Amino acid sequence: MTLADLEKQQIKSLNEVAVATDAAALEQVRIHYLGRNGVVPAVMKQMKDVAPADRPVFGKSVNKWSNELKQALAAKSQLFDKPKKSGSAFDYTLPGRWPTAGSKHPISRVIEESAAIFGKLGFTVADGPDIENKFNNFTALNTPAHHPSMNESDTFWLAEDQLLRTQTSPVQIRMMTEHKPPVRIITPGRTYRRDTTDATHSANFHQLEGLYVDTKPVSLADLKATLAYYAKEMMGSEAGVRFRPHFFPFTEPSVEVDFSCHVCAGKGCRVCKMSGWIEIAGAGMVDPRVFEFVGYPPEEVYGYAFGFGIERIAMIKYGIPDIRWLYENDVRFLEQLR
Amino acid sequence: MKVPVSWLNEYVEVSDLSVQELSDKLTFSGIEVEGIESVGADLDDKFVVGEVLTCVPHENSDHLSVCSVSDGMDEYQVVCGAPNCRAGIKVPFAKVGAVIPDGGFKIKKAKLRGVLSFGMLCSASELNISEESDGIMILESDPATGTPVRELLPPPEIVLDLEVTWNRPDCLSIIGVAREFAALLKRPLKMPSLDFTESGEPVEKYVKVSIETPEMCSRYTARILTEVKDGASPLWMQQRLELCGVRAISLTVDVTNYVMLEMGQPLHAFDYRKLAGQSVVVRCAQDGEIMETLDGVKRTLDSSMLVIADAKDALAVAGIMGGAESEIAAGSEHVLLESALFDPVSTKFTAASLGLATESSRRFERGVDLDLADLASRRATSLLAEHGGAKVAVGVIDCDLRDFKNQRTPLRFDRARQVIGVDISDDAMIEILRDLGLIVESNSGGSAVFVIPSYRLDLTLEADLIEEIARMKGFDNIPGVVLESGSVSTLDDGFFYDRKRCREVLTGFGFTESMHYSFLSAGELDAFDKRSSEFRAVIPNPVSGDFGVLRDSLLPQMAASLGRNASRQVESAALFEMGRVFAKNSEGVFSEEERVSLGIMGPFGRTEITRRTPVSNEEALLWIKGAVENLVNVLHAGNVNFKLNDHPAMEEGWGVDIILNKKVIGCMGLVTAKLRHQWRMTLPMPMAELKLEPLLAGVNKVPAVKPVPAYPAVNRDIAFISDSSITHRDVVKCIRKAGSVELTKIAIFDIFISKEIGKGKRSLGYTLSFRSLERTLTDHEVNESFTKIIQALKDDLKVDVREA
Repeated sequence: MTLADLEKQQIKSLNEVAVATDAAALEQVRIHYLGRNGVVPAVMKQMKDVAPADRPVFGKSVNKWSNELKQALAAKSQLFDKPKKSGSAFDYTLPGRWPTAGSKHPISRVIEESAAIFGKLGFTVADGPDIENKFNNFTALNTPAHHPSMNESDTFWLAEDQLLRTQTSPVQIRMMTEHKPPVRIITPGRTYRRDTTDATHSANFHQLEGLYVDTKPVSLADLKATLAYYAKEMMGSEAGVRFRPHFFPFTEPSVEVDFSCHVCAGKGCRVCKMSGWIEIAGAGMVDPRVFEFVGYPPEEVYGYAFGFGIERIAMIKYGIPDIRWLYENDVRFLEQLR
Repeated sequence: MKVPVSWLNEYVEVSDLSVQELSDKLTFSGIEVEGIESVGADLDDKFVVGEVLTCVPHENSDHLSVCSVSDGMDEYQVVCGAPNCRAGIKVPFAKVGAVIPDGGFKIKKAKLRGVLSFGMLCSASELNISEESDGIMILESDPATGTPVRELLPPPEIVLDLEVTWNRPDCLSIIGVAREFAALLKRPLKMPSLDFTESGEPVEKYVKVSIETPEMCSRYTARILTEVKDGASPLWMQQRLELCGVRAISLTVDVTNYVMLEMGQPLHAFDYRKLAGQSVVVRCAQDGEIMETLDGVKRTLDSSMLVIADAKDALAVAGIMGGAESEIAAGSEHVLLESALFDPVSTKFTAASLGLATESSRRFERGVDLDLADLASRRATSLLAEHGGAKVAVGVIDCDLRDFKNQRTPLRFDRARQVIGVDISDDAMIEILRDLGLIVESNSGGSAVFVIPSYRLDLTLEADLIEEIARMKGFDNIPGVVLESGSVSTLDDGFFYDRKRCREVLTGFGFTESMHYSFLSAGELDAFDKRSSEFRAVIPNPVSGDFGVLRDSLLPQMAASLGRNASRQVESAALFEMGRVFAKNSEGVFSEEERVSLGIMGPFGRTEITRRTPVSNEEALLWIKGAVENLVNVLHAGNVNFKLNDHPAMEEGWGVDIILNKKVIGCMGLVTAKLRHQWRMTLPMPMAELKLEPLLAGVNKVPAVKPVPAYPAVNRDIAFISDSSITHRDVVKCIRKAGSVELTKIAIFDIFISKEIGKGKRSLGYTLSFRSLERTLTDHEVNESFTKIIQALKDDLKVDVREA
């Protein structure tokens, strides 16, 4: 075949595309030229008969023909594309079908979020039993021998020396008794006090305490920085902390910790009773007598501890007005906090 | 502790500070001001003297009247309900916009039974001038109309209400608080007068004192005052007592209370003439000894309680309350004034066992200044001499058995700087402690020893002194900006993250996490399962019977929560809980264990379209079973199996043991209709409870991967009718046994029951997948194996093959 023949064939083929009147005719043209046994592949096979000098020009021409033909076919076929069926569109307003995920309990959520925040500061989580002995829950925490918190009216005593822990501090005692410093832990867990249940009290509640003890100096300023970081991470970047001196038997100095009100950003509102601050935590430098009880040399170690109620954080953070909601397990409440 | 600011101001000058400044100073140095009370009216210009010009009865009321009131400029129509309202009187008139002190409501223009009222005529109680009042307050002094009412009244008294922490009993007195201010403001402390003249006989002529129990009473002082004119105490004293919440009674009693509030030393006055044998004995009560206390209650004492007695009877419970017999009453002219130091612990126990907490016991329990007894006695004597004309016998009986020496506490200055985290000079620290009344005994440069005043019982350790420095320096001055990384914990907390993983898997499955109390009533637990009730941990002092037992299962509360949701018209719910259960063995040893419970109520997991299809028992329990199997699978816990059990809370034939790695780790089932009835639940309620520990044993043991099959599988379906007693497992076992090694999967695709099939029979359909890891199987091979399987099902299980 000569180049002239090739050109004729090309013109003929493009003409056939042009005159095709329906999709079937167009398909016939495609098969005739481009099909497995079509004209174009056949021409390609004849390449070996072309003089070697002419082969490059010949090859280029065949390729050009093939491409032009394909384009023409594609362009023409669009004219024959069937219109989309009407009347059977997807009703995208129907409810989707996929099982919904459940939600974590707000208390778990606060615990896990807190563990992540303190985890970034190098704290690990520690836990202990709900049923504790007097030494771990009171004595080693330097509770005065006849402190009212030990009364039957405040603490659930199961037996002579067995009680439901009133704080998660006994976990601190356990960890310090078992491990040498440094100890850098948080202790989220369930605690019990003999309170009558109302909107803000629950005999069964949760606490999160933290403890950092080391042989190198640890200061109140470190404690303040740690809690300030937590406040910002948990309550938002606007949150600040304030220390007020207080008294706890297990820390000296002791402070109460206020977070600036997350609702009004410290300006004063109904939530913070116009003070701009919300009382959140108790904290302080571990009392040397506690170190003596766990067998640490009080002169050689430094440490701080802090603690707060998890329910309180959850209630403030999620705007939960009544602590009892947390134990009623109404799914219409729980599922809001996915 | 209530502190009237005007009283405080007698000992330390604070009148130039605003109430807020006073409150902040105290709060941020460690004594929290819980409340600020303003006693008496603090009225703004909206309260003026109003003149009632006219007063006519209200047309639509039998007790209201309509008045015209002048404020000197304008006239206002005011509706008034007071019976003593009449024309011509002058009264406090609250204009629109005024806020009434009693109740804090704001006066607005109002319509009362059809008549407009522009303000209110006030009573004395509405203005917080008196506790109660009878009608509106008529201003008899005839002040000029329009004068602000404020100008007619004494200025209001400000009372600080302090929360005094356990370690600071020294602040249970006005002077104690004044000392704090003196240190905070660096101002001098003024002490009250202790002067009086003694005359007549020496005190020893009147009385002798003996202490039988020095460990419970280390010091007892007594003074004798004669010819006391015991009328009412001066008005200012009565007012101060009242501001502090103490009722005024008579001069002698009021003075003892006044000095207690002022200095912190509880005192007691006995009627000297009632003292048998002219002697005071400090002794323990006899078991069964009966004494009537001042409150009129006859109390039975025991030998652990300390009393003050005369030669015959107990006259007072030491440090707690006096007896009625020796009470100062009208006509008591001669007084024995007791000022003593009683032991905190013994006072606490006696007060607790008598159920008698008094201002006096409260102070002794927490610790009174060790060196105050005589000073306070002198102060009270001085007041009684001044205001009651008392003659004071010469001298004092002071039985002083104390081993008293001021506490010495050392301080390392560097340590203080390290602990506080602020650079404070040694001198600055010494100055702070000096201001608080501490004295430097020695100073070796790096450290010093301080002498602690007798009223600061709490300053025994170095840490206590560090706290004093930190709080006086102000915690706000402690920087909290630099976050030091400190040490990183090396302790393992995998347990926490295992539980988190489990929680996330279950929420992913669609279960919502619930939480219940650790305790509930025995009845609720019994209703579910009382087979091991003898091993429950019982709370001897529960808040109420509803919370009397520690739970030994999570199921009853799970059922109750699902039920509660159902009864609140929630259509469906799936809940889980991860919590602890408790037990007590026959030796009385307590134990606890973590578990997870699962429960479903309603057509959970169905699409909206299919929700109405009734939930069958089988479907319901298979949901829970599927959750358990998936949980075990996702957590890599091992092999799970099931076996029927007879759990009392589950319907017969629908209670199942859950077996993990050949150990029973829990159970599941359908809660009985009887139990469900309390929530009117008709749908099946499937639940499960598993031990958490074995479930989490393999959380991180993700297995090594196997190759993905490279060759296609060949599937064959088989459907047959079999006896209902033949279980799915029977079928699978039979197929597995007969099939070739290439049989890789047996999956049920149909279960069908109908009348045509017949009673006691069901139709089952299975897809069998054959696959080799090495090559593509031929039809011939598969058919051969399949035929064998069909034959085995026919032979071993007597099934009727419908289609294969």
